[in-house]
Amino acid sequence: MKTSKVSVGFLAVSMLALSAGSCLAGDVVWWTPNWGEARARDLADKFMKANPDTKIKIEVTTSDGLPQRVLTTLQSGAAPDVIEVQHGWVNGYAQNNLVIPLDDTLQDRGDYVPAALDYVTWNGKLWAIPYRIETLAVIYNKGHFKEAGLDPEKPPQTWDEFVKSATTLTREGRFGFAITGGGEVGNTIFRSLPFIWMNGGDIISKDAKTALVNKPEAVEAVKFYTDFYKKKISPTSTLENDGIANRRLFIAEKVSMYQAGQFDLASIRKENPKIDIGVMQIPHPQGKNTAAILGGWSFIVPKSAKNPAEAKKFIQFLNMAENQGYFTDTFPARVSSMKLPRFDEPILAGYKAMLPYGRPAPSHKNWVQITQAYFNGVQAIMLGKEEPQEAMDNAADDIQSLLDE
Amino acid sequence: MSRQSTGYWFILPALVVLAMLIAYPVAYTGLLSVTDSQSNFVGVKNFATVLRSRATPQAFWNTLYWVGGSIVFQVLLGTATAILLNQSFPGRSVVRSIALIPWVIPSIVAATTFAWMFHTEFGIINYMMTAPGLIEQPIGWLTNRDTVMPVLIAINVWKLFPFVAVMVLAGLQSIPKELYEAARVDGANFWEEVRHIMLPQVRPVLVAVTLLLVIWGLNSITIIYAITRGGPANSTLITPIQIFRIAFENVQFNQAAALSVMFFAVAILIVFFYIKALAAAPGEAR
Repeated sequence: MKTSKVSVGFLAVSMLALSAGSCLAGDVVWWTPNWGEARARDLADKFMKANPDTKIKIEVTTSDGLPQRVLTTLQSGAAPDVIEVQHGWVNGYAQNNLVIPLDDTLQDRGDYVPAALDYVTWNGKLWAIPYRIETLAVIYNKGHFKEAGLDPEKPPQTWDEFVKSATTLTREGRFGFAITGGGEVGNTIFRSLPFIWMNGGDIISKDAKTALVNKPEAVEAVKFYTDFYKKKISPTSTLENDGIANRRLFIAEKVSMYQAGQFDLASIRKENPKIDIGVMQIPHPQGKNTAAILGGWSFIVPKSAKNPAEAKKFIQFLNMAENQGYFTDTFPARVSSMKLPRFDEPILAGYKAMLPYGRPAPSHKNWVQITQAYFNGVQAIMLGKEEPQEAMDNAADDIQSLLDE
Repeated sequence: MSRQSTGYWFILPALVVLAMLIAYPVAYTGLLSVTDSQSNFVGVKNFATVLRSRATPQAFWNTLYWVGGSIVFQVLLGTATAILLNQSFPGRSVVRSIALIPWVIPSIVAATTFAWMFHTEFGIINYMMTAPGLIEQPIGWLTNRDTVMPVLIAINVWKLFPFVAVMVLAGLQSIPKELYEAARVDGANFWEEVRHIMLPQVRPVLVAVTLLLVIWGLNSITIIYAITRGGPANSTLITPIQIFRIAFENVQFNQAAALSVMFFAVAILIVFFYIKALAAAPGEAR
């Protein structure tokens, strides 16, 4: 029966405890995701050469199920010494007393992008060192722009221009702009919440006491977002598409524009080199600024780490300007690292331009459920079950009770 | 020490393992359901929170739909297949092996494959239907709230009917030939054999298999979670997935435990009444 679910969690905890307990003093166990493994080993070797007394033990993680895995190990009381996590997860760890503050570890505070530090600050203390930051932008197919009689060098900037371009691009079995409506909740949060922000709204208030998702600014933005699907500018399959599905559609040239991070560029180039890729800022309402959720990764030191002192030293090494710039997959959190030649590629300009508009996602202990309630509302609109105002009223009800808990 | 108590010592290790693996988690879940994350006793607060959620009743009805729909077709199709495979025809053993394939394929593999097959844009099913002009526009099988549950049930039926077929086939093969011969002497045709010999004879098997299917259905997460994650807009959210979500996505173990306890009670009731009504029915051919 389902009661065994919880016990599975505890089994996992005890097994992780066994594996983590087998390391020696002086070892720093580092959980790092698989996409950066080669660079991680490179940096670890360098560190060990300079510090022969410390041994870095790398354990490679994968993004699938990582939040659950990290949470399990943090609660087990026998965690690794350094873990890479997404900025958004850190707040919860700090509130539950699972990680240690790292104010004494951070060097050159002034060199860091402030929004990145804000993200991992709680109760006046810094609970993680951010090293990688990124936002989404709109990737578009320049060839399709030309075919539709649009100027690919002058992409749309405002919402009205954007809808017009997307409508024009929707021709010959293609869809102008693909939104997400399926997959994991985060996909649609990252792509639709910025539109709410640009319009002056939010999902919850800054003090996390009131649900704002049914206020006019938010509802207007949600309507703007879902209308791409309702008006058939976004693919028929929108409700089952996540970011990866949209990328596939873009590679197959079924879609002319979609929101994505810069990591999509490499796979588009590899799988369909014919596409002339453009990157534009996410369009904003007339007279307002664009916005995006700041994403990325931070280092944390668990409360139950065996060697916090060595771990901090190692984190300082990893975050020296040059190492941080080398290690990040997207952009570094340090301004000076950004000067490295690898970030000068012209196509990245669109992404760089988005960075100053990146904001931390709201934090609340029930944030996952709050986003689920909002996402259900967005899906209900797309399904034709509810009108935007009605759907967001329902979502606001659910969210308010989650805030009141 | 009496001889009897010596025996208990021998089974003690097994009992300890059983207690650790079954009794402890069950008891601990019960404890979790009435406490908060700091282990303070909170009474029925977790239950109230879970019941207040709009998703809970929806998930409950979806679960009944899912389990009921799956079982009816699994049993019908499985029994029909078993009766077919019990006839003698050339290549029977090959067909028997092939029929088992869906059951052998891991659920997660089947689910992911079907998710792609039913995909609106890339799916082979829409392709096969649009190419010869059967339908004009691709159908959003998994995104239309009227089609998504039937599609998932169809996948579940496909996955498990071979299990029913194998079990029923085993039951059919244990029927003595004399019964058929006697029936034929009396002039019974094939359908009468099915109705008056085969079905009554495999009734105990069907009862047991259906019970297993009920339990598996109430427990199943893989197919739905891998394909729709309970969406769109909770249209395919069943209670096990809701529990999984609360526990492992929202990290509210106490609320998840409360829902588990309630779900456990409902499941026990269903199984209890099922066994009472069917398993011990009079006139059972034994």
